[in-house]
Amino acid sequence: MLTRGPVASLELRYLDPEDVRVFRGEDGRVYASIKDEVTLISPAFVRSHPLTDPDRYIAIKGTIPKEGMEARGDEFGLLRHWRRLEPESRRLVEGQLARRYLHPRLTRIVSLREYSGVQVAVFETDRGVREVTLRDVRDNVIYLDSNRVLITDAENNRYDIPDLSALDRQSRVYLARII
Amino acid sequence: MPEQIPESIKAIMEQRHPGADLRVSARADLGDGGIFGDKWLLLAGDHVVVCQDGEVPQVATDLPLSDISSFEIDTLVGGAALRAVVNGKRIDLISFTNALADRFGRVREQLDAAVKGKPIPEREERINRCPTCGMVLGEYTRVCPRCLRRGAVLRRLLAYARPYRGRVILIMVLLVCGTAVGLAPPLLTKYLVDDVLIPRRNIQLLFILVAGLAGTSILSTGMEIWRGRLAAWLGGRISFDLRAELYERLQWLSLRYYDKHPTGALISRLTQDSGGVQDLLAFALPMVVSSVIQIIGVAIVLFAMNWKLAILALIPVPFLFLLTHSLWLKLRKAWHAYWYRWGRFHTLVNDALNRVKVTKAFSQQPSEIGRYAIRNDDLRFAGVRAEQTSATMFPFMWLVVGSGSLLVWLFGGVLAIRAQITAGDVVAFLAYVGMIQFPLHFLSQVAQWLSRALTAAERVFEVLDTESDSEKIKGSISTERLRGEVEFQHVNFGYERHQQVLKDVSFRVEPGHMLGLVGKSGAGKTTVINLLGRFYDTDEGDVLVDGVNVKDLALWDYRKHLGVVLQEPFLFGGTIAENIAYGKPDATPEEIMAAAKVANAHDFVVNKPDGYDEQVGERGGRLSAGERQRICIARAILRNPAILVLDEATASVDLETEQQIQEAIARLIEGRTTFAIAHRLSTLRNAHQLVVLEDGKIVESGTHEELEAQKGVYAGLLEMHQKTSMVGALHAD
Repeated sequence: MLTRGPVASLELRYLDPEDVRVFRGEDGRVYASIKDEVTLISPAFVRSHPLTDPDRYIAIKGTIPKEGMEARGDEFGLLRHWRRLEPESRRLVEGQLARRYLHPRLTRIVSLREYSGVQVAVFETDRGVREVTLRDVRDNVIYLDSNRVLITDAENNRYDIPDLSALDRQSRVYLARII
Repeated sequence: MPEQIPESIKAIMEQRHPGADLRVSARADLGDGGIFGDKWLLLAGDHVVVCQDGEVPQVATDLPLSDISSFEIDTLVGGAALRAVVNGKRIDLISFTNALADRFGRVREQLDAAVKGKPIPEREERINRCPTCGMVLGEYTRVCPRCLRRGAVLRRLLAYARPYRGRVILIMVLLVCGTAVGLAPPLLTKYLVDDVLIPRRNIQLLFILVAGLAGTSILSTGMEIWRGRLAAWLGGRISFDLRAELYERLQWLSLRYYDKHPTGALISRLTQDSGGVQDLLAFALPMVVSSVIQIIGVAIVLFAMNWKLAILALIPVPFLFLLTHSLWLKLRKAWHAYWYRWGRFHTLVNDALNRVKVTKAFSQQPSEIGRYAIRNDDLRFAGVRAEQTSATMFPFMWLVVGSGSLLVWLFGGVLAIRAQITAGDVVAFLAYVGMIQFPLHFLSQVAQWLSRALTAAERVFEVLDTESDSEKIKGSISTERLRGEVEFQHVNFGYERHQQVLKDVSFRVEPGHMLGLVGKSGAGKTTVINLLGRFYDTDEGDVLVDGVNVKDLALWDYRKHLGVVLQEPFLFGGTIAENIAYGKPDATPEEIMAAAKVANAHDFVVNKPDGYDEQVGERGGRLSAGERQRICIARAILRNPAILVLDEATASVDLETEQQIQEAIARLIEGRTTFAIAHRLSTLRNAHQLVVLEDGKIVESGTHEELEAQKGVYAGLLEMHQKTSMVGALHAD
C-alpha cells in the first residue's frame, strides 16, 4: 500500500514510530525508510503546529530517489510522537528539527532603553544573549493566548515568550513598558 | 561594504591558505548548534572556508571551489542556511537569522559567480544600522531616533513656515506683547490694595485702576484670540502643504516600497503623523515660546519688587517641575495602555462585524460574543485604571502646585509684618506665582511631547526623502512609438534577495505575437509581468523592449504603451465612463463607447439605468465579475497599448460571459504583443509561443502543438486540465 508512494489521497497517513527508521547513509546524507518499503532521500521533518504543539504531528516529506533526482518532496506521513522513534533515528530527527526551527525563546530581558518609540533591549534567550531593536512593537506582537507572546524585532527576527508569568519581575516590568 | 574581518580570522586564513586573496567575506550571526555567535564565511583563493569566531577561531569547513557545482539558500523557520552542492549532495556551510537574509542572498550570488569563473560582483549591502551608533534602523529608513538631530528636524519643519513669515513674525510680536500686558494686572492689584483698600480712600484712583484692569484684560484677550487664530491658520496651512507633498510622494514610490510598508502604516503617516506635526506647530511651539517668555517676565518683575521674597517664592519651582514630570509619566503610561487596548478592541470589532455572515453561517455567535467579552473586559480594566489614576493624580498635582503659594503667604506675611513690604506686594506676589504654574506645568511635559512630534515629523520627511520612481525617469530614453518586441535575457530576480523567484529566464517575443505563460501558481508567471512592466528591476540579466533595455526607457512614457487586464478587475468608486477612461482621462464619450463596444461591454452598460453614468460602487461592487472584467478590457482597449498583459482574465465567470470576454480579448490582442497568463490552457491555444515555468525556470517552450507532442510538463498540465473540466462539465449537468 505504501509502495505506491504519495498519491492524491484524502486521508492523512499517520506513521507508527516503529515503522520509521532515520539513518545517515554512507554518502553522508540522511535517509528515512518507512516500513522498509520506501526510502526517502534527505527527508524534511516539518512541525505541523510549531508553536502550539511542537512535539506532535511531525510531517515527513521527501522524494523516493530516482535517477539523479532530488526534487522537493511530498508528505509521506505524520508522526504523532516522534520521540518514540528508536534512539538513533530520534537523534537525527532532533538534529533536523533543531536545524530547521531557529526561533529563540526569550528567558529574560536584561535591559531596555527607549528612544522616541524605538526600544533597544538586550534579550537573554535559549540561544544566547542578543541586543534587539524593537520598532512599532505593538504592531509586531502576537498574543497566542493571554500568557504566550511572540515579538518580532526590527530585523524580522521573532522571539517566543512561551510563558509570560514565568518571567522574572524585572523582565515583566520591561515588557509592560513596551506592550 | 562588507564588515571588517577580525585579525584572528585573517591570521588563521593566512595559516591555512598562505597568500590567498580573500575574495568574499561575510559574517553570520549563528554559531554551532544555532547559538547566537559570529561565524565567518570566506572565499580564500579558490577555497570556501567557514570559521567559527571566538578566542581561538576554529575552521569548521574548508571546501575547494572546484568540488562545488552551485550554492543555494535553504530557507528555514526564523532564518536560513547557505548550502553548497557537492556531487549532488547538499552541505550546510553556515546559517543565519532573518536579520542577515539579505546579506547572504548577495553572498550566494558572489559565490555562484566564483564557481562559474565569472568576475565576482561587488556586494552592496542594505544599510540597516545607524552608521553612528549601530542601532538597527527600520526598513527603508535612515532615521535613527537615538541620533536624530532634533534641532535639524525642527529647522526643516520651520522652513515650511517660510512662505508665511509675515504671519509668523506677527504671531511672535503678539506673543511678546500679550505676555507683557498680561504681567500688568497683579501690579495694578498691588496699588489697589496699598493705595485704595488699606487707606480706604482715593475713589478716583480706584476707578482708574479698575479701568486699567479692564483695559489690560480686554487687550490681552484680544491679542490672545488674534494670535490663536493666526497660529491655527498657520498650523493648518503647513500641515496641508506637508500632506500634499507626502501624498504626491506616496503616489510615485516604487512597488518594492509598498511591499515593505503595510498600507495601514502609510495611512497613519498621512493622517496621524502629519496631524502630530500640525499640533506641534499650531499649539505646542507657540505654547513653549509663550511659557518661556511668561516665566522670564514674571521672574524679572518679582526680582524688581523684592529679590529676597522672589528667591523664596521661586525655590520650590524646580522641585515642582520634577514632581509633576514624574506624575505625568505615570499617568501617560496608564493612558497608553488604555489606547493600545482600544486599538486592539477596534480591530476585533471591525473583524467580527466584517465576517458577520460567516459567523452566522457557522453559528459562532456565542464564541464571537465570548471573544468580545474578553477584550471588552480588558478594555474596561485598563480604562478604569487610567481614569482612576487621573482622578487621583490631578487633584494631588494641584495640591502640590498650590503649596508654592503657601510659602509666599508665610514669608511674605513675615516681611509685611516687619513692614519690609506692603500687603499689596504680597497679593501681587501671590498672583505672579499663580501665573507661572501653568507654564511650568506645561514645560515639564513638553520635552516628551516635542520629541514625539519631532519623530512624527521625521517619519513624514523620511517618506519625502525616499527615492521614488519619478527620479528614475529623468534622463532616460523616450519612446514615441513601440513595435512591441520583447526579450528577456538571462533574467534573475527575487523580491527578497535570498529567495530567487526567476532563475535565468530567457525568451523573445516578436512584435504583435502572443506569449502564453504557463505554470503552477508560484512558478513566477506574474513576476515575469512585473519585470516587463518594470514594477521591479531585475537582479541580473536584462529585459529589452524594441532592443532597448527597459531600465534605460523613460518609465512614464514606456508604461503608456502597456495595457493590463488583471485577474482581479480593479474598479474604483465612480462612474463606468470614468473607469473606462482611467488610463486616458481626456477620452471623448465616443471613444469610450467605441472601446466598450469592442470589449462587449456597451450593450450591458446602456441597459443600466444610468448607462455610462452608472456608479460602480466601491471597488465596482455593484457590477458582476464578468461586467467588471469587460470594463477593464475596455479600459485597456481605450489606452491602445503596444504591449498587453492579460492575467487570468477569464477566471471565475460563467460560460456565456466567458465567451463574450474571449471575443473581446481576441479583438483586443490583435496586432499587439500580448503576454497572457491563464490556468485554463484552452485560452492559450492560439498563442504564438508558450513558455512553461516551473520553480522560476523555463522548462519548456514552443507552440501548443509542439508542447503537446513533447509529452512533458505542459502535456501533463493539459491532461489534468481536461480531466478537471470534465468534472466541471459533469457538475454542470
